[in-house]
Amino acid sequence: MTTSLLRTAVTNRRGPVRRWDAGRIARVTFMTFVALVFLYPLVGFFTVALRSDDGVAAQTGGFLGIGGISWDAVQHSWNQIFAYGGLDTPHVYVTWLLNTIFVAVTGGVLALIAALPTGYALARLRFRFQRPILIVTLLAMVMPNTVLVIPLFLEVNAVNAVGELWPVAIIMGFFPFGVYLSYIHFRTAMPHELVEAARIDGLGEISIFLRIALPISKQAVALVAFFSFVANWTNFFLPLALLTSSFGTQTISVGIQSLISSSPLFNPTAAAGTPIKLYMPELALATAISTIPLLIVFIVAQRFLIRGQTLGAVKS
Amino acid sequence: MTTTASPALLGSGTRTRARRPNAHPPMRRREVAGAWTLMAPYLALLLIGGIIPIGYALWVSFQQSPTLLEPTKTGFGGLQAYVTAISDFRFGQSFLDIFTVLLVWLPVMIVSVVGLALLVHASPGRFGAIMRFIYYIPGALGGVANLMLWVYLLNPSQSPISGFLSSLGFTTIKQVVATQGDLPVILAAMLLLQGLGQWIVTVNGGLNSISEDILEAASLDGANAWQLAWRVKLPMIRQWIGYAALLNLAYGFQLFLEPYLLNQVASGALPSEYTPTQLGYWFAFVGSNFPAAAAMSVIIVIITLAIGLVVVFRSGLFAVEEH
Repeated sequence: MTTSLLRTAVTNRRGPVRRWDAGRIARVTFMTFVALVFLYPLVGFFTVALRSDDGVAAQTGGFLGIGGISWDAVQHSWNQIFAYGGLDTPHVYVTWLLNTIFVAVTGGVLALIAALPTGYALARLRFRFQRPILIVTLLAMVMPNTVLVIPLFLEVNAVNAVGELWPVAIIMGFFPFGVYLSYIHFRTAMPHELVEAARIDGLGEISIFLRIALPISKQAVALVAFFSFVANWTNFFLPLALLTSSFGTQTISVGIQSLISSSPLFNPTAAAGTPIKLYMPELALATAISTIPLLIVFIVAQRFLIRGQTLGAVKS
Repeated sequence: MTTTASPALLGSGTRTRARRPNAHPPMRRREVAGAWTLMAPYLALLLIGGIIPIGYALWVSFQQSPTLLEPTKTGFGGLQAYVTAISDFRFGQSFLDIFTVLLVWLPVMIVSVVGLALLVHASPGRFGAIMRFIYYIPGALGGVANLMLWVYLLNPSQSPISGFLSSLGFTTIKQVVATQGDLPVILAAMLLLQGLGQWIVTVNGGLNSISEDILEAASLDGANAWQLAWRVKLPMIRQWIGYAALLNLAYGFQLFLEPYLLNQVASGALPSEYTPTQLGYWFAFVGSNFPAAAAMSVIIVIITLAIGLVVVFRSGLFAVEEH
């Protein structure tokens, strides 16, 4: 499945040495320029997370404020974030992180349990309604998941579970993209003959999946887990609709919204009554910390992602 | 990140297996039973997360809305909820708003994605890989983090482009986002920065699937890099471009997070029901009019479903077309 990629690599290595003609200089210059435009605000933003309130307000620290980075400032910002919370919800930022870990991991595990066997069945077993199920899955995959949030809210409201974490986790387990990924995986990685051979050996259908298909699916497991975790972690509208009513059961994306709305920068009146002052450095630090889990799963899944992209280059 | 990361994986496998309904009846029966057992967890989630909410929303949308005089009034209401939603003074405006954003954003988005993907594809080796990675970073930040990045960018008091903002006469972030005509441009810029990297990777996947032989033949015929991109590569990734345009169109339609949170940052100076999804949210959470909220959702679902059907059946990227 990586043949076309390999071929590209080989051709390039053996290809003629390219000269720095005008076209190449223009291309490299333009691409580097775009990259700098992308990096400039990002570097500035993550620098703000490491600077002091006063420094950011006074715009000191030189280029992008990099000179203003200080450990004391980080500690101060963290203490503010950590202290944020209500009487019955102390240190709510940590609670939000734990809540998000719970829904993102539970949703991811459910997505795996659902997606892999279904992808296998759709790719390698014959049964009625195979095509309709695949089509419904594809439709659910290409439609933005936010269009269902209000209907989902009505559903969860009907069973009186608004404000609880478990409905969010279960709904996150519905991950049609994971089914499609697994479907493609089993179509490319598991020959039909393997299934037939296992049947002749007397294995049942479930055992074939568990003992033959699953062990060769590390790649699919990694991809489904990664994409669903990231989608769950950054999901905003679903937890907003299902969890706003209860401060202590929010996820981090909705929580950061609460931080914004209690910042004196945007809402002086609401912030006046509290000793905790969340300025730009605190907000940036809270955001930066919330992206660390994404960074971790990205690093863990990286080698699978690079190979997964080449799935797009497969011509079967 | 949404499922738009999906497209790099195309299922262009053709159906080679003929249907043999009665070949081995007992074995077939076991195969069918096995398939349904294996799919049971997914089908349950599909019901809970997709089918039931849509069906329930459809049902709710035909119920009567409670009024101030009769807060517990229920029962069949016909098209009343749809009339309430459509005749709301914000309904037409919210679609107009979203069209404005799409008009500003989509062309720039598609041209940038295709242009940068072609440039990345023309830069094999480490340079291209590093550039692709850098373009990807802002998109990896995801929803609220991306918004915070823009709050930092748009606040004249500490923005790295504060010189530019103050030269336009802005002193507060509220002015920046609430000045007439600014919002579509800001939303377009936000969506662009967030979506570019992911779609460059996707379209790049399409470019990678072009056979090396074709590109080599074109080079031997004397095509330079520019002609190669314009005359050979571009026509060959047409369906990927169409796919990108349609999925981004569907994505744009449901815009919620960005206008919703920008309004908070601007201390409520923006219209709080700027997009159709926001209007649906308002019906559900502020107006407490569930039938109207459901009607609004049904309308949005129908629009995105129509786009989805075109993508699945007409884009040529999925192997569901009849062979």
